[in-house]
Amino acid sequence: MSTLAVHAEGVWKIFNEGANNEVTALSDVSIDVGKGEFVSLIGPSGCGKSTLLRVIADLIPPTRGSVSVAGVTPHEAREKHQYGMAFQQAALLDWRTVRRNVELPLELAGWDKDKRKARALELLEMVQLQDFADHRPWELSGGMQQRVAIARSLATDPEILLMDEPFGALDEMTRERMQNELLRISKATGTSVVFVTHSIPEAVYLSNRVVVMSPRPGRITHVVAVDLGERNEDTRESDAFYDSVTAVREALRGRATPVGEGGARLAETS
Amino acid sequence: MKSKVNAIWPPILLAALFLLAWQALVVIQDLKPYLLPAPSLIFTTFITNLSLMLETGLYTATTAVLGLLLGTVLGIVLAMVAQRFFVFRNLMIPVAAGIAAVPIVALTPILNNMFDITSRTPRVLITAIVVFFPIFVNVYRGLTEVPNVQLELMRSLSATPRTVTRVLRIPNALPFFFTGLKVAAPLAVIAALVAEYFGGPQEGLGSKIASSAANTAYGRAWAYVVVAIIVGLAFYLITLLLERVTTPWAGRSRSA
Repeated sequence: MSTLAVHAEGVWKIFNEGANNEVTALSDVSIDVGKGEFVSLIGPSGCGKSTLLRVIADLIPPTRGSVSVAGVTPHEAREKHQYGMAFQQAALLDWRTVRRNVELPLELAGWDKDKRKARALELLEMVQLQDFADHRPWELSGGMQQRVAIARSLATDPEILLMDEPFGALDEMTRERMQNELLRISKATGTSVVFVTHSIPEAVYLSNRVVVMSPRPGRITHVVAVDLGERNEDTRESDAFYDSVTAVREALRGRATPVGEGGARLAETS
Repeated sequence: MKSKVNAIWPPILLAALFLLAWQALVVIQDLKPYLLPAPSLIFTTFITNLSLMLETGLYTATTAVLGLLLGTVLGIVLAMVAQRFFVFRNLMIPVAAGIAAVPIVALTPILNNMFDITSRTPRVLITAIVVFFPIFVNVYRGLTEVPNVQLELMRSLSATPRTVTRVLRIPNALPFFFTGLKVAAPLAVIAALVAEYFGGPQEGLGSKIASSAANTAYGRAWAYVVVAIIVGLAFYLITLLLERVTTPWAGRSRSA
């Protein structure tokens, strides 16, 4: 168990249970994410991908089922800052400089001032924003803001990164650059990533495995293993890339036969 | 810089034209001062009584500042309590609305009877009551209208409610606070002045305007009105300056 970044078994999330507006957001979802693995959750709106991410992050409790993050409960993982989180909006605090935004998790984890500052500058260098340390968030472009948010999510050197459509609001060019950057960083730091997206090429390009979800009720229908090796400039134009994109697209349409190997566990849809 | 200079001229020109038209109206129609004194009369009265004007203005300004401070502190503290404790929320908001509906004109003589005749306290209390509501409402909004994604971020970082208040809610509420203060500051001057109308020590702009008018010294009464306008504007401008200095991010496009 300790070798897994995330382990979820038989997770249900039912909103307003018992009321007439009851919604089953997650139905018997099981998923394992290995150490250093990059897993994307993809599916149409309402498929529960963001809900699953929030259950893993202990932002909301599951109705039933068990979840462990870095070998402990999601609650403990959150308390110990063992995961970092990034959202579709950068969610930077306008009244803080870029550097002090990156310092925020360290501040809450009780680091002292000098260590905080040094670590923040190191992280800003990693996302190539060291020259913007003393700028205010509103002076930065959307892509730069999102890079700050990623630096912030990595501040406490977490084992796991949980990302909810972090590049969703960016233009295509910026988006591809950010994807490369994220791959480089997650590789350099050995961080496992759970990445929510609704872009098929993005999921394929980034992931070792793409988990395909379907709505009403939210569940995992397929897991597509992606083997593209080292990503480089040619990856996006390779046949293997297109094959994987097609496989995910077919899975989203519900045409493909469920793929369940490679350590991925599927919801038992009976 | 140039655009700032350009923005200053139109209102000044408008004011000059207005005063000129006023002066012309009084001269041409030969209006008596009790109907409408000429700007020139108001101005000469103002200049010849300058030290008295300043002294009187300062008295009212002091009352207004004290009331503003008291009302602001109460507004902030109660907004924070209302945000933090659910039980108080449903209690506090109707109470705040009730306070806003207090007829200060009616309350002033009652408060005056409760305190010493030379006391400034009733006037400060009246001002504080008037100031309280815009501050409370705006600060409460600022503390509660926090982007959901930032609250999720705080939770993901295991921030305690106290930390969320310190790191997120209070800075978020600052621009809202200044919106309230920009309303409350000139209002404080008006409230202090109105409170001076109804008994208490014969000091302050309200008392002087009332007594000047009663003594048919209309030029003087109007000169005090000018002082009141200047004090009110000064309060507003100081608030504006404080806002610029303390919340440079306000009005910027939010990154969240």
